Amino acid sequence: MKDRSLVVWVLLIALLLLLVINPLARLLWASFEHPETGAFTLGNYAAAYGRWRNIEALINSLEVGLAAAALCIVFGVPMAWAVSRTDMPAKGLVWAAVLGTFIMPNYLGAVAWILMAGPNAGWLNRIYTGLTGAAAGPFNIYSKTGLVLVIACYSFPYMFVFTRSALDLISSEMEDAASTLGASALRTTLRVTLPLALPAIMGAFIVEFLEAIALFGAPALIALPARFQVMTTMLWQMFEFPPRLQVAAAYSMPLLLITVFLFWLQYRLIARKGFVSLTGKGGERRMVRLGAWRWALLGYCLFVTSLSFFVPMVVVLQAAFAKAWGRGFGWDNLTLRNVRFVLFDQTATRAATVNTFVYAAAASVIALGLALAIAYIVARRLVPMGRALTYVAMAPFVIPGIVLAIGFYAAYTTKPLVLYGTAWILILAFATRFLPIAYTNSDASLRSINPELEDAARILGGSRLLALRRVVVPLLKRGLAGAFILVFIPATRELSSAIFLYTTGTQVLSVLLFDKSDEGNFEILSSMGLILVVGTVALVLAGFRLVGRDFLLRRTAS
Amino acid sequence: MTTIWKVLLAALVVALALGPAAAPVPAFDGEKALHEAAKKEKEFTWYTAHYNSETAAALCQGFEKKYPGVKCNYIRTTAQVAYQRLAQDQKAGIAQASVISSTDQSHYTKMKQDGWLQPYKPKNLPELVDAFRSFNDPDDLFTATAAGLVLITYNTSVVSPAEAPKKWTDLTDPKWKNKVSIGHPGFSGYVGTWVVQMRKLYGWDYFKKLELNKPRIGRSINDTVTMLNAKESIVAAGPSATTLESRAKGNPVAVVYPEDGALLMVSASGILKNAPAPNAAKLFMEYLLSREGNEVMVQQYQDPVNKHVKPMAGGKSIAEIKTIRPTAVEIEKGIPEVKELFRETFGI
Repeated sequence: MKDRSLVVWVLLIALLLLLVINPLARLLWASFEHPETGAFTLGNYAAAYGRWRNIEALINSLEVGLAAAALCIVFGVPMAWAVSRTDMPAKGLVWAAVLGTFIMPNYLGAVAWILMAGPNAGWLNRIYTGLTGAAAGPFNIYSKTGLVLVIACYSFPYMFVFTRSALDLISSEMEDAASTLGASALRTTLRVTLPLALPAIMGAFIVEFLEAIALFGAPALIALPARFQVMTTMLWQMFEFPPRLQVAAAYSMPLLLITVFLFWLQYRLIARKGFVSLTGKGGERRMVRLGAWRWALLGYCLFVTSLSFFVPMVVVLQAAFAKAWGRGFGWDNLTLRNVRFVLFDQTATRAATVNTFVYAAAASVIALGLALAIAYIVARRLVPMGRALTYVAMAPFVIPGIVLAIGFYAAYTTKPLVLYGTAWILILAFATRFLPIAYTNSDASLRSINPELEDAARILGGSRLLALRRVVVPLLKRGLAGAFILVFIPATRELSSAIFLYTTGTQVLSVLLFDKSDEGNFEILSSMGLILVVGTVALVLAGFRLVGRDFLLRRTAS
Repeated sequence: MTTIWKVLLAALVVALALGPAAAPVPAFDGEKALHEAAKKEKEFTWYTAHYNSETAAALCQGFEKKYPGVKCNYIRTTAQVAYQRLAQDQKAGIAQASVISSTDQSHYTKMKQDGWLQPYKPKNLPELVDAFRSFNDPDDLFTATAAGLVLITYNTSVVSPAEAPKKWTDLTDPKWKNKVSIGHPGFSGYVGTWVVQMRKLYGWDYFKKLELNKPRIGRSINDTVTMLNAKESIVAAGPSATTLESRAKGNPVAVVYPEDGALLMVSASGILKNAPAPNAAKLFMEYLLSREGNEVMVQQYQDPVNKHVKPMAGGKSIAEIKTIRPTAVEIEKGIPEVKELFRETFGI
């Protein structure tokens, strides 16, 4: 009897193609379409790449993306190791700060950084000139370095969660083997533990890089005043009158090639090595004892989270509870009015909050389920040409949201799926957009599981689907909790596709937040940001309680 | 007291009590019939880039209160997004919006050309500020319904009123080096129009001189408000409404009406040809010109377009100040040109 599971795989692949290829193909089509006549043309590519400044913006984006992704390794990997493998104190605090960082809209973080490191009035510069008597301080957020720092601050949580899920699976036996042979703790970590997490770190690096390229909020606030353009600021201008959608589509298409190249590179680098760490042969995880070093490590974690969360949070709190944020700190400047307005007076906020969480949760479930299945198909080579599916699953992330939204709109206002005006258009758009994150995470997790575990189930007469349900999924559960956060939180913040797809009754918070940023209303913007951070952290923690995991994603009891 | 006196007294009491609320609001011809027709349509959707989302919400609420039974749904976005959404709807043959309010002049020219709009001459037109009439379409496809100013703004905790720039050319004074904030014409129609107007007044040299002061270039015109509050810049070419709203909260910002003229931005609204609720749309156009509608705008720090409605405290009426404005043709032709020049001069 043929394996009946094949039908399931084919259906899932069809779903993947429908979700990803349908909107992307329409974009590809548009990129070759003459804006007036609709005839085939290469003119859009000529318009997009025939100008030096467009190419320059693309180079800037690549440069900023690479630097930001590299900085994310510096920020995220030591923190993930500290939380996962060591006896560092205050892990709960560090994890909550990382979660808070992840939720904070990058627009708010960017404004906070302008206040801290603005060349004219930034606090850091004022402290410096106060201490040294110099005429000007050394910090200038309006620079490429400044932009890299801000982007890294708001995207390193990907690196943290990816690396951590991988480290959580590695049992101490491997490390014991190294130390038995005389390796020091540091050497063991660098030569054994971290290399085992390499697929996850590389996956995260790619995600960070792509995220940095597609970001609009922070670059608009920092790159423009610093007098350079990045790809997304150029794209945004193509929507000014007369809108040049076709050129925007053509401008974005080469990013797909970059994605393919990155994954090919990853494949080449890790293909010949084994990363199986979950073998089913028991294995216990012991925390590395750091002695006095644990305080140094905690210091580093708090330093990074101060940059990304605690200090910006001071700015957000100040503005959220200020009558007028431009007046600075002062008892007579305090008010609850902004928060009350957002919570109670502004009716739009409540509906939008509910929508945001419901859509994000639905999108996360869809993206995770699909990603896991596709990753499994690829990893176990269940269909021919499976590797191509990787590229399909990763493609949606690299196209900037504003362009992708056009594809979604075209895909879901015409047959076969007419979803315009419904919540589904947003849910499917979010699921598609963040499928790559779910995929990268699932892929890294699957690589760590020894196929022998399933083979055991199958030898005993179980079908592949049974093995999947009873063996693979339970083993992956812990990783999936992390993956859920990785899709859920970006989905709650997603703006650029939402702005074109929402209608009356399907508004989401990110759209309201963008309005406030566009309107220069920083007090209300901060209040909404604050409520979003507090609300999401509470929701995520409550969610984990519910599924039987504590604050640190460990199993409670048992 | 005789019965008749009692009745008269009671009538007087009622009249006094209801007086201010029931002040004679000039209803327009056929208001009732239009309201009835709109009720049958139940609701309508308004794509708007005029004002901020609170004002859009307040106007919808005010409209629903005045015309019960007609629900007002707003989708408030930037002008480009509003236009892009509309263009997608048109292409896909979807009738979603009934009223469109963009801030970009070129959108109207194009929508007219493409036949997306239907004519309607509001009965409340005589209430419109006279100076704004010239912005209406001769074929009644769109009507001026919002106004705003680009003027000089500054941070009052660093700059005294005496020191503050008085005219546009003062922004090129070397004393503001590294302290000026402006928007980018590639991102904002308001900024684009301002740049066209400055070029018209002083030639492109104005921007070459301004560049010597190394201005901080933000995205939209509203970014200047954030820059001023953060004290990263202390003078700016900024918007009236957002700056005054920030000031009303107690932020240390103020506006200067430039001696050489504040730039007047008048924006229109129109009814879509494929409007699912054409009567509600017409009724809403009337409301946007009405006194009640304009009082709502003023409460939200916007400039009124109804000539009988006074602007809010702290701001001047557009009639009292010197305003300047390029013609529609100058704007449409000028914006693409100045975008290029801007990139050459400022490097972005």
